[in-house]
Amino acid sequence: MAAECRFTFDGAPVAAAPGQSLAAALTAAGIRAFRTTATGAGRGVFCGMGVCQDCLVTVDGVPNRRACMTPAAAGMAVATQVAFPALDPAAAATAAPPARRIAPDVLVIGGGAAGLAAAAEAARAGAEVVLLDERRLAGGQYYKQPAGEAPALDAQQAAGAALVAEARAAGAELVGEAAIWGAFDGPLFLGEIGGAALVAAPRTAIVATGAYERPALVPGWTLPGVMTTGAAQTLWRSYRTLPGRRVAVAGSGPLNVQVALELARGGAEVALVAEAGPNPLLHPVPAARLLAAGPRLALQGVAMLAALARRGVALRHRSRLVAVEPAGGGLRAIVDGPGGRRAVVVDAVLMNEGFEPQNEILRLLGAAMDHDPAVGHLRCRRSERMETSVPGLYAAGDCAGLGGAPAAVAEGRIAGRAAAAAAGHGDTHDLYAFERARGRARRFQRALWALHDIRPRPAAVLDPAATLCRCEEVTVGAARAAMAAMQPGHAGSLKRLTRVGMGRCQGRYCGPVAARLVSEASGRPLDALSQFAPRVPVKPVTVGAILAAEQAMAAGDAGG
Amino acid sequence: MPAADLLVIGGGITGTAAAIRAAEAGARVRLIDAGVNAGSDANAGSLHVQLQSRFIRLFPEQAPNVEASLPLYLAAVREWERLEALWGPFDLVRKGGLMLAEGEEQLRFLEGKARREAARGLAVELLDRAALDRLAPWLGPQIVGAELCRDEGKLDPLAANARLKARAAALGVERVAGRVVALTAAAEAATADGARHRADRAVVAAAWGTGALLAAFGLAVPTRAEPLHMNITEPAGPAIGHLVQHAERSITLKQFGTGQIVIGGGWPAEARGPGRVPGVRAASLLGNVALAARLVPAIGGLRVIRTWAGMNTTADGKTILGPVPGAPAVTVAVPGDAGYTLGPLVGRIAAEVALGLPATEDPAPYGLARFSA
Ligand SMILES: Cc1cc2nc3c(=O)[nH]c(=O)nc-3n(C[C@H](O)[C@H](O)[C@H](O)COP(=O)(O)OP(=O)(O)OC[C@H]3O[C@@H](n4cnc5c(N)ncnc54)[C@H](O)[C@@H]3O)c2cc1C
Ligand SMILES: Cc1cc2nc3c(=O)[nH]c(=O)nc-3n(C[C@H](O)[C@H](O)[C@H](O)COP(=O)(O)OP(=O)(O)OC[C@H]3O[C@@H](n4cnc5c(N)ncnc54)[C@H](O)[C@@H]3O)c2cc1C
Ligand code: FES
Repeated sequence: MAAECRFTFDGAPVAAAPGQSLAAALTAAGIRAFRTTATGAGRGVFCGMGVCQDCLVTVDGVPNRRACMTPAAAGMAVATQVAFPALDPAAAATAAPPARRIAPDVLVIGGGAAGLAAAAEAARAGAEVVLLDERRLAGGQYYKQPAGEAPALDAQQAAGAALVAEARAAGAELVGEAAIWGAFDGPLFLGEIGGAALVAAPRTAIVATGAYERPALVPGWTLPGVMTTGAAQTLWRSYRTLPGRRVAVAGSGPLNVQVALELARGGAEVALVAEAGPNPLLHPVPAARLLAAGPRLALQGVAMLAALARRGVALRHRSRLVAVEPAGGGLRAIVDGPGGRRAVVVDAVLMNEGFEPQNEILRLLGAAMDHDPAVGHLRCRRSERMETSVPGLYAAGDCAGLGGAPAAVAEGRIAGRAAAAAAGHGDTHDLYAFERARGRARRFQRALWALHDIRPRPAAVLDPAATLCRCEEVTVGAARAAMAAMQPGHAGSLKRLTRVGMGRCQGRYCGPVAARLVSEASGRPLDALSQFAPRVPVKPVTVGAILAAEQAMAAGDAGG
Repeated sequence: MPAADLLVIGGGITGTAAAIRAAEAGARVRLIDAGVNAGSDANAGSLHVQLQSRFIRLFPEQAPNVEASLPLYLAAVREWERLEALWGPFDLVRKGGLMLAEGEEQLRFLEGKARREAARGLAVELLDRAALDRLAPWLGPQIVGAELCRDEGKLDPLAANARLKARAAALGVERVAGRVVALTAAAEAATADGARHRADRAVVAAAWGTGALLAAFGLAVPTRAEPLHMNITEPAGPAIGHLVQHAERSITLKQFGTGQIVIGGGWPAEARGPGRVPGVRAASLLGNVALAARLVPAIGGLRVIRTWAGMNTTADGKTILGPVPGAPAVTVAVPGDAGYTLGPLVGRIAAEVALGLPATEDPAPYGLARFSA
């Protein structure tokens, strides 16, 4: 067993377990604010998955490293990230490691349920398959794998480990710490592998980048200690770190209940779970539909609710978080529900009001999308073989629209077979079993969400004091004032007027809300083009990495 | 549609400035804008004064025209300062622009260029490496010298656009969404949706859309849409005060008041057809940012957070400003190269010409007779 290691944060020693992320180690040490914004506000872990860019720290003098994606290492000097780090004249002196160029039959982007299944099928069909994932460990959000040498926590993690093993055994190459940041016609993909440049020109590509969580835009949602439910789940499932001793959970959907229970079992005190949807016991018809669509999963859900109740955790239906305030060293979560307004003081507030697909790569390449009002996000238009409107480009799993893990696996298997066949390996006969599994999973999802409330709330109900754009620190009220004065006809115009969406997270959190604000004001319904236009890079990328990619391309061009 | 005194076609920086000037003079102004591909929405906010080497290389036949416009650039930067004092802040900074040389030959090119510019009244000088080290210690070791033009600067175009558009709205300028497909000598415009707009006079400030509208008047105005690439990083502490360019290669680099480094300078983007925003090319992104990293190695550790492509307009290198020959009710305002720098001045003069007000600069050298068949 590797031993615990030590690093420093702003000079003070911090202990970390093997493989633990900096974010987890700092959280375990009770440190919540990792960076300060341009206005001096503190920020910390929010998404836990590399999307929000609010967990930035300086590591050994290198600014703007995401603490949630950076493993702790012995002797690291970690420091609070200041808003305006000094330019470093020595930055160029460190020569970039040699770039890697790949041209596999099938490139899979994302190693979650969908990507792993796709890689396994495509490799089994005889195709040369490379799967890239930004995280160090494959598994994605549902199959989150434990760091270090910790054993699997439960059946869910064990199933994930089996899927990883299946993909490897089939001959797929799984590459961790490999993020794609650019997608161009061709398709040509540019990325980073552990600090080196990556240039990928595959014959076919499967995008399986999953989803991220939709937050509750309430005053205080940017405070350190407020994070998504999935971020808390990653802290616990991957790093055995509790987000706090006492927590409150708010939003809608089974993930909130599952994580509340996992944390309670892990020793946290769950002060409250606020669910926007109705109590299923009072709505027997949709509840019965859910039971019919997927008895095993539905009963698992009932068992979770019962287990929560046994632990004395209050699950309040038709209740919503309205604000979070600092309270002593902790946070006061204020919730409105049928019984009126109530407040609990906790260490961490967890929120999830649904999901937004990570469809940036698909949109960059021009894949056609449709707006789905039932879930309030875009769905990628696909053939029954999971091919998008762009020939040779496939989409599987939640990146194409919310579907859940079982559907993601089925879609991944179909896409893997189809992409391999398009690259000249195997065929697309006999996919019925996967198609049936996908149909079942989709029916279950429809019944499941009928019992919750994840349709995005009208932008009109948002509190003007709430932050709209975390990165650029623009409030809902400021955006409304600009809209009243200038009547922007598109979210992009609102962006240029107010800077919403111009920050590091690329508008992932404010973008959908900005589109709704403009749509509600103009009366124009939301469609596939209502949101900010997608831009390269899909994730911030260092100037040094771009320089390395340019050198690799130049060398490649010279060679052939 | 009810009549207005002045119709402005095109709502970028030029059209907005024209509308503001006319409304301030008491005119009822209607501004019609197609709402796509305004260079003003995509531009980098460099205030250019010295001759851009990119231009001399790409369009050598137009260089004499650009050189003839140099005094206009000086006046244009002063116009920006006037507007900032009235309606700012736009984060306008005028610390000067550096054009870098990587070898003796480039240094000699800059010497020749500086002589021509000084003859036109620009404040330019040549710096050796020791002088550069005092001004710009963050430059790469291969830079041997530079030309400094003290008149140059930078501003935040987002802030400037938002504030000037708000000023126009406050003055009662009526903004209409639409694409003008025909314009008559009597200043009557028809839009693609079938609406007709009548006014006493019209200013055409439609950038790349201008040539098509003027063909009806027997003019061959060669306005072309040129898709260009831009990059921006996350913020850093303030360090780079100057606008940075290169004697031979396409680049502009500067630091905004937000702390972000903006990198551009005319790398090509992918045209996606009329009415569609151009796409980003991998080769431009890689080439443009890599060049920046070589010239200013200290930005190597910063992350690029966004790239975009926008539509520039080129014509014959010289500003196009004045009434249409034979149709005095129609005035044209296309600023030309570094059009964001020139836009406010050119727009203001166009409104003055259209309304018969005294203009501060003589538009005669920029007139449209040169395009008559
Ligand atoms: C935080 C979170 C927690 C969740 N927890 C649960 C749960 O406990 N139970 C449940 O039923 N559902 C959960 N879900 C829903 C879950 O997304 C799906 O059920 C399932 O994981 C979908 O599988 P997928 O393969 O489509 O995506 P994911 O499993 O999300 O996998 C996508 C993978 O793509 C990688 N990736 C994304 N962009 C890039 C890029 N540019 N370059 C390289 N790699 C990239 C990511 O690192 C990730 O590993 C969760 C979702 C989120 C966002
Ligand atoms: C990426 C990029 C960076 C740049 N950087 C700089 C810089 O740093 N400094 C600088 O000085 N210059 C820069 N430029 C150039 C500058 O942006 C333009 O020259 C300037 O903005 C032109 O302003 P304008 O108002 O004349 O035209 P535009 O801003 O292009 O506006 C023209 C408007 O007219 C509309 N239109 C066109 N045809 C019609 C029609 N038939 N009917 C109705 N409306 C119509 C268009 O939709 C558009 O909204 C840059 C350009 C680009 C693309
Ligand atoms: S918490 Fe690390 S990027 Fe969001």
